[in-house]
Amino acid sequence: MHVKICGLTSVADARMAIEAGADAIGLNFVEGTPRALDPECAREISRAAAGRVLRVGVFRDATRERVAELVESVALDAVQLHGEESPEYVADLPYPVIKVLAGDATLPARAARYPKVDLLIDHPSGGGSGQSWNYELARELVSRGRRVWLAGGLSPENVGPAVRAARPHGVDASSSLESEPGRKSAQRVRAFIEAARAASDSRDRPDARGYFGDYGGRFVPETLVPAVEELSETYDALCEDPSFWDSLREERRTYAGRPTPLYFAERVSEDLGCRVYLKREELAHTGAHKINNAIGQALIARRMGKRRIIAETGAGQHGVATATACARYGLECEVYMGAEDMRRQALNVFRMELLGARVHAVESGSRTLKDAMSEALRDWATNVRTTYYLIGSTAGPDPYPRLVRDLQAVIGEEVREQILAAEGRLPDILIACIGGGSNALGLFHPFYDEPQVQMVGVEAAGEGLTLGRHSAPLAAGSPGVLHGSRSYVMQDDAGQIFPAHSIAAGLDYPGVGPEHAFYKDSGRAEYVYATDAEALDAFVYLARMEGIIPAFESAHAIAELRKRAARAPGSLIVLNLSGRGDKDVAEARDLLGKKT
Amino acid sequence: MNRIDRVFVETRSAGRAALIPFVTAGDPDIGTTADLIPELVEAGADIIEIGVPHSDPIAEGPTIQAASFRSLEQKTDLDQILEICRSARQLMDAPLILMGYLNNVLARGEERFARDCAEAGVDGLIVADAPYEEAPELQSACEAHGVHRILLVAPTSTPERVVQIAARSRGFVYCVSSTGVTGARRELPRDLSLLVGRIQRVTSTPVCVGFGISTPEQAATVARLADGVIVGSALVSRIGEAGSPGEAMTAAREFVGGLAEAVRATRR
Repeated sequence: MHVKICGLTSVADARMAIEAGADAIGLNFVEGTPRALDPECAREISRAAAGRVLRVGVFRDATRERVAELVESVALDAVQLHGEESPEYVADLPYPVIKVLAGDATLPARAARYPKVDLLIDHPSGGGSGQSWNYELARELVSRGRRVWLAGGLSPENVGPAVRAARPHGVDASSSLESEPGRKSAQRVRAFIEAARAASDSRDRPDARGYFGDYGGRFVPETLVPAVEELSETYDALCEDPSFWDSLREERRTYAGRPTPLYFAERVSEDLGCRVYLKREELAHTGAHKINNAIGQALIARRMGKRRIIAETGAGQHGVATATACARYGLECEVYMGAEDMRRQALNVFRMELLGARVHAVESGSRTLKDAMSEALRDWATNVRTTYYLIGSTAGPDPYPRLVRDLQAVIGEEVREQILAAEGRLPDILIACIGGGSNALGLFHPFYDEPQVQMVGVEAAGEGLTLGRHSAPLAAGSPGVLHGSRSYVMQDDAGQIFPAHSIAAGLDYPGVGPEHAFYKDSGRAEYVYATDAEALDAFVYLARMEGIIPAFESAHAIAELRKRAARAPGSLIVLNLSGRGDKDVAEARDLLGKKT
Repeated sequence: MNRIDRVFVETRSAGRAALIPFVTAGDPDIGTTADLIPELVEAGADIIEIGVPHSDPIAEGPTIQAASFRSLEQKTDLDQILEICRSARQLMDAPLILMGYLNNVLARGEERFARDCAEAGVDGLIVADAPYEEAPELQSACEAHGVHRILLVAPTSTPERVVQIAARSRGFVYCVSSTGVTGARRELPRDLSLLVGRIQRVTSTPVCVGFGISTPEQAATVARLADGVIVGSALVSRIGEAGSPGEAMTAAREFVGGLAEAVRATRR
């Protein structure tokens, strides 16, 4: 939801609107109207707003020369046209345009004459009357993919219903927010922005810029920005397309082996004094939750007409899942994997090759997941026109964190149904391990609005946090930018990223998905850690207690389960058993051999 | 007037393009970089772009990645880089531009980063992983301290984005010649003039082209189209391959001299 505050007449009002969270400001250049600005004042406001909000110049039947002169001298980012400007005039302007149209019965016909530009739909009687109107006409344009701004008589009192009815790209208000003519009321501007945002669905995170609070965003080289935007738009459209979700559901059921069971771990429960359920993601096709994401994104790639898929992988589970999906859909697949990880996970390298993928060894940096992701981003920048980058976790630039989360949310949605059927109530505690964080978010996200359900994410503490040889940015890192988004990262004072370390190659990453950073700061989830040694113990424990060999990654969650159960006896706990341990058996034999 | 703007006033009135070589600070060591900067200007460079090494340089090809890692092994830090800029500023007027990655800027804080740049005589800043929508605080800090924030246009940029970027970029618009990462390419894309033209049509700000320019012939081709020619990897690989800092200096001076000759002989 974008909010535009229009008719600003002073730097002070502009600053206030920006502070309050406006996304755009309108500067009026319609001569003879009460809020028209002289160029000098407009320049001052524009300077104060530079880079912080969209600066929109408002015109009515002005000559091209006048528009050009003001765009240049005031540094406007877009122009809004209120008059009888012809479609040819609008099409020829070399700036982003918002064309204003009245919301009456002739709207559909007139909108069609101004293709491609944003439309600002005004009150049929010219607006400012404080009365609402029939928003169905605007909704109609939105559903046909037009970018619509709603205006005309919007106020803090009526913007909510208007947004819910029309679902516009943005809303615009001016006179209803004034304390006296030409002066905005800070209180009303804030109330307006708050009401508009609240109405655009509270679970609708991230925001339009891809932010979960302070985290997320799109920090990629310019070459990739259009690709990221294209993916975002494609995904937004697919979200509204039931045929996409139907085909995904069918693939999950017949190909990926979903739903996976929710298993009551009887001996563990007895041993720990809790009721413990394991969500058996390790039984999904390819042996981990990664397939949920891989088939979803491969279907998206196919819809986008991209035939070449690239991926990064740490433990090799995401690489295997991607290679599998590519084989299934006849797509070309190339996987980047750190040379060190290829040594640790030789079996998965062979599996990928068997599935027809090419695996590239990444020799730069720490030769693990972080460097594989950098290399995949470089490949994407080089081959962006033909290639789909299938990111394996809830990390990277927007839209990946939300897209991967939505594809993994099937885990939590199934758990919800299954636990209600088994226990007749929601769990007390959810536990999952965290590398980039996709299996954890897949479990957590459907329970976000259930405050009684505790969420516990378990990072990899490697050899211990004090030694610096770990993979726990939420526990021991600080906010920074890595691989396209702002989140917690492991870094030194100068902003150089530390190499991570973990026994579990899939957790061996110095960053974490931005939504987890948001959950951490807001306190919605709790983040803890388990060391290599604790994970190895837990690996053996689950094998002996339940006859299930977990992946080293999931063993971190088991380690936390053992600690947590002692503190919360009798709790109903669901743990995401995100992957199976076959890939780790050889490494475990070496490590356990050394120990004895 | 910002020194970058002054250079383009001069080169435009002389009817030629500017030559902008790039070196990674601290490769092979910070002292050599300090000596190189005035040498390159002496050899005919108009503006110097200095790479701030980052641990995860996602926009760089193998050459500049390797230079960044060599530099980080030397423990090169931002204070040293600012210090050599300050010394260079005592000796010469040529503009200095820092090029790097956002996380190193954030670690210092946008405001302090821009202020420290200005105090050290740095004239411009290029942040490879911060498109114009992101890091708004950096843009205002740069504006407040008179440091030009230079933005990049890529071949994939949509017409709307070209307009937005050209309107916000200060000093010049950095035109990325082709998709991909930095590094020498055997030939320049055939449609480069179209891309440069797309930018020039929407702004009077100078347009400089970088990524993949590695020979005097390519530099001359670009000098006919654009206001500036940026040469990075081809120079960095000569520095990297040299046996000693002394040899690196000689190789760099000769290479930049050859490029300068080609660029200056080309009339726009």
